[in-house]
This record gives sequence, structure tokens and C-alpha cells, in this order.
Amino acid sequence: MERTQALLNCLYHEAELLDEGRYREWLALLAEDVRYRVPVRVTKERGPEGGVSGVMEGMYHLDEDYTSLEMRVARLETGFAWAEDPPSRLRHFVTNVRIGEPRPTPKGEESEVRSNLLIFRSRWDRPDYTFLSAERRDVWRQEEGGWRLACRTVILDSATLPTHNLSFFF
Amino acid sequence: MAKVKTGVSPRLSRMLEELQEGVEDGLVPAWIFNDPELFELEKEKIFSRSWVYLAHESEIPKPGDYVLRYVLDNPYILVRGEDGVVRALLDMCRHRGMRVCRAELGNASHFRCPFHGWTYRNDGRLIGVPAEREAFGQDFNKEEWGLVPIPRLEAFDGMIFGNLDPEAPSLEEWLGEIRWYLELVTKRSPQGLEVLGPPQRWVVHTDWKLALETFLSDSYHTLMTHRSLIELGIAPKDAKYAMYGEQIHIPGKGHGSMVVGAPPGAKLPPFWGYPEEMLERARTSYPTREQFETARETRILLVTLFPNFSFHNPIRKPDHKYQGAVPMLTFRVWHPLGPGRIEIFSWALVEKDAPEWFKEKTRLSYLRFFGSSGTFEQDDTEIWSHVAHNAATPQGRHLRFNYRMGLKLEPDPNWPGPGVAYGLNFTDANMRNFHRRYLEMLLS
Repeated sequence: MERTQALLNCLYHEAELLDEGRYREWLALLAEDVRYRVPVRVTKERGPEGGVSGVMEGMYHLDEDYTSLEMRVARLETGFAWAEDPPSRLRHFVTNVRIGEPRPTPKGEESEVRSNLLIFRSRWDRPDYTFLSAERRDVWRQEEGGWRLACRTVILDSATLPTHNLSFFF
Repeated sequence: MAKVKTGVSPRLSRMLEELQEGVEDGLVPAWIFNDPELFELEKEKIFSRSWVYLAHESEIPKPGDYVLRYVLDNPYILVRGEDGVVRALLDMCRHRGMRVCRAELGNASHFRCPFHGWTYRNDGRLIGVPAEREAFGQDFNKEEWGLVPIPRLEAFDGMIFGNLDPEAPSLEEWLGEIRWYLELVTKRSPQGLEVLGPPQRWVVHTDWKLALETFLSDSYHTLMTHRSLIELGIAPKDAKYAMYGEQIHIPGKGHGSMVVGAPPGAKLPPFWGYPEEMLERARTSYPTREQFETARETRILLVTLFPNFSFHNPIRKPDHKYQGAVPMLTFRVWHPLGPGRIEIFSWALVEKDAPEWFKEKTRLSYLRFFGSSGTFEQDDTEIWSHVAHNAATPQGRHLRFNYRMGLKLEPDPNWPGPGVAYGLNFTDANMRNFHRRYLEMLLS
């Protein structure tokens, strides 16, 4: 239960940092070798194996490592990143959290953590907003100093994105 | 210039006269960027008669491979038949109109309608009709009831275009002299291009012409819109870097290109930073020596085809810490959804015979700077949406935008390529040429 509670706390803390635009603190939650990817989703017919499909391996909306995520954060700090200046009002709703069994790795103990995510986004003084819904498939790793996000794959529920850019983090 | 024809409402007729008055003088009314009545006219006069980009051949390499694409809201199955021929079939069952293709991409030997079961081969022929004899009798001729192909389908160097107008000029004639600039990308290697996966697709509340203009002519916006990347050391230090280029338009066609070299004093590698082996291949792959020489000096290349296709091929790198340069190439369709609303289709491409390490780096360069999350592009879409909003407001829609930049520039007589070229890229020449062609099509 202790591990479960610790990982839930990680997800909620992360959501708070992202909603409040505390991006440098968010970067500190990431492992140095983090892979952070949002594959393009396409409409496909139901396969013989059943279930839903259409998660493309060949193309992404985001395919990031620590350096490129740091670049995106540094860009927001330049004062000229118009896509987020004024900043979007974002709310990350994190639900349906499923935590896998711990497994030891040379880099530390890792746990798979799946969660559902709903992002509300509102900009300027307009009453309109966009929603993005997704499942996050994460790997969190216990390192010195706490849990770090080692890998995240965001499975979008939209094929065509209903928002004008992805200038924020999932 | 033709007079505004009857058949449009008095309101639209007055608006078109205003556009006609202003266009030669570099004045364009804001309302062209968000007006429902004008959008209806654009559908009829422009998008129903123009060559529209649909797909790249490398998206459907094998028999049975298909992707679903659109001209206006018509869905077309771009499918390679067992005979190797690529067709664009209207995704509409001939019996009651249901869609027979229910995926964005895949491989299929046939398409079957889920309504009554009519089944078509991947070349469009109707091959199966449930209870055919009982329902339709002996003399039912299936050959007359195949899927309907798009009226015109032609390709240029792997780029597949469709046209709704059976009387349209050939794609070759439509492209005209812009081919010289297209070839700077399509003939950089003897193997040609391949896509790096399916397109990213996203919706922006703006007008297709606003998006297009940025890629057709607007090097001026890089100063301010993309200042964040200059601050980060991603774009050249000289904020006017995109000014030091040639801007070329093809009169009568509406197409244009921007060819940008290194800013004075900047140490940027030749040939966009493509690997040396690719430069060597390009030497013999380009049709003319002038194209090779031009390509060697190029760091940023854009080509826009009338009405709604652009490509962008800048020097880049995968992140701000990377030492060196890795260019990227993106193809664009600014797909009109409605007044003030578009869907962007954005592909990343690379030369088929590029080294694998380079394909990986160019893919990352694309993803991090352009496309749905691109650190360059996300600022463009933010701004375009506000312009389109203002263009529909009661007072704002009557403002005339200033397209007079470079109105007094003289063409560059030394430019080796075709078209009308200007040696200073801070000019609206390509836009004025586009709007001239746009108006001509609206009025014809």
C-alpha cells in the first residue's frame, strides 16, 4: 500500500506542477533517460485480436528525451513563446490509476503505472475550451531522492486533434 | 480582369469588387479570411477546379495499400490495385451511399459496404451483390456500378494530386515553372522521397489562405513570431535571417517559392546540412546544373502550390544542445473545413536512400520544430486563429491589410531559376501574385 500511495502522490503532484506551470520542478521529476512519446492515433478497423487499435508506431505528435523536454521548457521561459503566453489554463484530471508489480532493474526498482487523463484547456478571455482525453502508460523508477518518470506513452483518444497545437505536456 | 459575375449575391458582389480594386495596390480586405458566403464561392470556384494534393506514393507502396484522403468533404480511397495502379475512389457505395472504407489506412483486396453488402475490388469494380439475381434480375450489369473515381488523378515525382474538374488543365500545365523549385526536393536523390509515417492531423480555427501565406511569402513574421527560437540559439542569431533570400512567383499560376541561404557572416553548412554523400548524389540527380548550384547554397526552402499545398525544408537540428545541423522536410495540406476553420495534414519526409542515422535525426528535427507540437509552428497556429477571429468581426472585417511590402522592388535579373524573382525576401510579391490568381478563379 505504501508504494501505491507514493505513486499516486507522484501523479497528483505532477498534475499540480503542470497545471500551475511549474515546469522546472516538473523536469526534476523526470529520469535523465526519460522517453516521452505521444503516438499519432488513426482510425483502423477492428483487428482479429479485438480491442481498439490505431496507435501508430511510425509517427508521433511528440517524441522527446530529457534534452528536448528541457528545450521546450526553456522556450516557455524566453518571453516570446506566444502559444503559451498568455498561458493556457490547464487542468489535468487523473483517474483510473492502475499500478503494476514492482520489478528490479539495474537503474532501480520500476513500476508500470497506467492512468486515464483528461486535459481541460482554456485560453485568453474566450468562453470556449478544448478537451483532450488519453491513457498514459508510464514507467516510474525509484531513484535516490524519490520516484522519477522513466517512460511515458500517451495513447490519445483523438485521431484528428481538436486543438490548435500541443504546446503543453500530458 | 473579368467583371464580377451575376449569380453571386449583391453583398458578395460588392465584396469582390472591393477585393478587385485593392489587390493590385497591395490592399486586401480582412473579410476574405473568414466569411461564410465567400467560403461557399471558394468551394465552387477554387476547390472544385484545382489540383489538390492527396498523398505521396510511398504511403501506399504495395498492392492493396490504401489511405483515406479528402477534396473538400469528399472522401477518397487512395488505393493501389493488384495491377499496381493507384486510384482515388469516392468512398460512397453506389447503392445507397454508405462509406465502404472504414479506416484511415490499411491494406485490403476489396471494400464491402456494411449497409447491404455490395462489395468492390480494390480497383473499384463491383464484384459482389447479395442475392443479385433475386433482387436485381438477370440483366443487372455490375460493370456499370463500380466505385466512382475522382474525375482527374495525376502525379508528379511521387506526389499524387486529384481534381474534381474533368476539364481541368493537366497537372503539368497547372504546375508550370514551379516544377523547377519542386524538383529541388523531389530530385535531390535519384531514389526520391518517402514519408516517415502517416500525417499528423489537427484543427485550427483559421482560414486556409492565412496558413498558406505564411509558407508562401511571409519570411517577415519570423522576426517576431519565432523570436523564442532565436533566443534559444535554434534559429540564426541575426533575427532577419529569413530576409536574405530570394522570393519567386510564377505569374498566372499563383505558386511561389522562397529560397534562403546563410545570413551574411553566419557559418552554416552548405546544402541544408545534408550528409556529404547526399550532396554528391544530388550533383548528378538534379536535372540541371543551375538546380544543383542553387540547392548547394540553400538553407531554407519553401514551395507553395496554388491553392493549398506547401512544403517546408529548413536547416534544423534535433534539439538546442545538438552540435551540427540536420534539415527536415514537411509536406502540408491546408484542408478547408469551413469559414475560418481548417484541418492541417502534416507529413514528414526524407530521401529514401538517406543514411538511417540521418532519417532518425531528421524525424526528431521535424517533430520538435514543426507539426502539431512543433516549437516553431505552435506559435503560428496561435496567431492565425486570432487573425481569423478578427477578420469576421463587424468592424474588423472591413479593414484592409497592407500587402505593399516590396511593391517598388525590381526583379533580380541574375536569378538562375524560372519565374519572377526578387533578391530580398521581405516582400509580399508572392502573396500579391496569389491573390491575383485567387481573384481570377473566383471571377471565372
